[in-house]
Amino acid sequence: MSHAAAIWLLMLLQGTLTALGERTRDKMYEPILGASCFRRLNGTHQTGCSSTYSGSVGVLHLINVEADLEFLLGNPPSPPYAPLIPPHLFTRSNLMRLKEAGPKNISVVLLINNAEKMKQFSHELNCPNQYSGINSSETCDASNPANSWNPWGTGLLHEDFPFPIYYIAEEKEIDKLKDCFEKFNNKNYETHALRSLCAIEVKSFMSAAVNTEVCMRRTNFINNLGGSKYCDPLEGRNVYATVYPRNSTPNAIEGTKTDEKFILVTCRLDTASMFDGVGLGAMDSVVSLAVFTQVANLLRQILPAQSSLPDPRRNVLFVTFNGESYDYIGSQRFVYDMDKLDFPPKSAGGSPIAFENIEFMLDIGTLDDIANIKLHALTGTQLAQKLLEQLNTYAKSPRYGFNVNIQSEMSAHIPPTSAQSFLRRDPKFPALILNARPTNKYYHSIYDDSINVDFVYANTSQDFTQLVEVGDFKTLKAESLQMKVRNISSIVALALYQSLTGQEYTGTKVANPLLADELLYCFLQSADCPLFKASSYPESPTALPLPPMRYISVLGGSQESSGWTYRVLGYLLSQQKKIPKENCTILPLHFFAGYNNTGECRLTTQNYSHALSPAFLIDGYDWASGQYSTWTESTWSQFSARIFLRPSNVHQVTTLSVGIVVLIISFCLVYIISSRSEVLFEDLPASNAALFG
Amino acid sequence: MDISKAPNPRKLQLCRTYFFAGFAFLPFVWAINVCWFFQEAFRKPPYPEQSQIKRFVIYSAIGTLLWLLVLTAWIVIFQTNRTAWGATADYISFIIPLGSA
Repeated sequence: MSHAAAIWLLMLLQGTLTALGERTRDKMYEPILGASCFRRLNGTHQTGCSSTYSGSVGVLHLINVEADLEFLLGNPPSPPYAPLIPPHLFTRSNLMRLKEAGPKNISVVLLINNAEKMKQFSHELNCPNQYSGINSSETCDASNPANSWNPWGTGLLHEDFPFPIYYIAEEKEIDKLKDCFEKFNNKNYETHALRSLCAIEVKSFMSAAVNTEVCMRRTNFINNLGGSKYCDPLEGRNVYATVYPRNSTPNAIEGTKTDEKFILVTCRLDTASMFDGVGLGAMDSVVSLAVFTQVANLLRQILPAQSSLPDPRRNVLFVTFNGESYDYIGSQRFVYDMDKLDFPPKSAGGSPIAFENIEFMLDIGTLDDIANIKLHALTGTQLAQKLLEQLNTYAKSPRYGFNVNIQSEMSAHIPPTSAQSFLRRDPKFPALILNARPTNKYYHSIYDDSINVDFVYANTSQDFTQLVEVGDFKTLKAESLQMKVRNISSIVALALYQSLTGQEYTGTKVANPLLADELLYCFLQSADCPLFKASSYPESPTALPLPPMRYISVLGGSQESSGWTYRVLGYLLSQQKKIPKENCTILPLHFFAGYNNTGECRLTTQNYSHALSPAFLIDGYDWASGQYSTWTESTWSQFSARIFLRPSNVHQVTTLSVGIVVLIISFCLVYIISSRSEVLFEDLPASNAALFG
Repeated sequence: MDISKAPNPRKLQLCRTYFFAGFAFLPFVWAINVCWFFQEAFRKPPYPEQSQIKRFVIYSAIGTLLWLLVLTAWIVIFQTNRTAWGATADYISFIIPLGSA
């Protein structure tokens, strides 16, 4: 018995030591990690990329200088190829040439993260959202990029590519590709057709095609036997909050308007990039989100009680719009809802807010260059003049030493921000926009990150919720991004303070640069950060140490950034109440961990509103009309890439021919054997004879 | 079923049933009828029921051919014009291809 056990044990040990089974598949292929470009559709076009159904295969070819492309675009020996392109060569002209070469010659394009020689990288249009803003040639002129809102834009984000584009960020993965290219491909180019070459297979097949009209029709078509979805509308949530809680009037008759007066302060919540899951939008929107949040927090803390305002019906409504990168989805929906008296959403309660209740709108656009901010308005009005004066009172005041000069521009040259949706409905709408001269060379791209905005996390672990004295820099350098955000948000908040109270602000406390520090850290480097922790419920599970996704995405998408913004706005724009945790369960009361994790019960005002384009709500909407955003995202089953040795054509043909020959021979053999079976089976038993006879 | 072992009247009955069943928009039944009874109708030594079987086989063959022509024409027209017809084509399709117009 013990013998048997010993033998078993030995066999088991032997087995684990030697039988490290490796599948043929794993020996043949080496997976490559990266991010893929995918297909989006609007009312008239499809944009982005797709592989073939079973995956596109191309021979690796490293492009070091522009001349290397000629080899692929001329008459390459063993097509199709997959060029490995560094960002500085990922230009419009090069990509369009590759597209022209067709999928017969170029089947995959790989973008490798080698930012050394890169000077600019923006694939948004020169005029972002050109056709969904106010209809004026003055707003933005694409034929004159220098004067456009995105001078470095190549517009590649709006092109349709017949091949997949795959972005490889990690050094390790890039080395795998380069090694394989050097070892097998980078020699004797003339004999490429005769030998095995290192090739990549990228799978990113997209189900939708043509345009939103076609894919939505096919998706909604009940007779669809496959039951498959072709595309989903881009969809997310706007986040809003008020500086004073609104008087909830439970007896309000539905549809009654309120007599409240709101100053609307807005900014953009989302960003865009060419590749799935990559792209932080640091300069194009996180900076303005940081300013927006700081303004909210500062106003909340310096404003007196609502009843002591000269006009106690006044309030400030903060809204951050989602999906603005895709033809202003969030703000279009907000305007649509407000027109129909559907804002705030029924679920949130409170009487509807109409356009008459909006005193004016201050939209925080992109703030690329803090020293060059302008206040934009469609036409010069007294209101604009007054706000400009108020802004400059604080911007230039020696008491604060912000040393900023805000210019104004009253013309149709309006930046591409949410205010355009409001102005489009009514050109007389009192919309004012704070926007800096565009200097972002990485607008809407994977490289608009913390390096682009020069952000270095101070990580002071101090209280970031309290206001600080204007001279207290909290160890930050005067020229740091955090201080710039502090200055701008203080200026804006103090100007709004003055227009609400009718008095100049004489205090010395301003926004806390550490709040900017924490917020930028959360959105640019890690969601596992003090600010997000403080604004969550105590003992919430920790977030992943990655920045939250800021692409609007579709229904069922992550919605991380709106979720975090909701909590942060809730935390920073609320009043602390002395209510124990047990009784702090019903909204608008909300229990937060607080910055020192002691737990605070707060009276909150924040809520979500739906950011889905009205185009998807209107029955029989004319998709080509251009009235509302029509962006949808194609569905796909997987993204993957792997490299392997692709045998030469000669090799493949030989293998197939040998197979066919063997098949024919085997048929002949079986026939011969069968016809002479009596030689082999001499005495067939009677019962079998009956069967076969 | 081995048709050669059936008695002649039974053959005729089967052939007739298949011919009439084909009118229920079942061209394949006609095609089967042609294949199945071709030997009986044209290759076997004459017997009383053969002339009738022959008639049904010929009619079935004509029906099959007609269907073949109509279907081929429709498939060619539909496939070449599917994208141009847009919504109409989608509504009369059971399976819509993924990733293309």
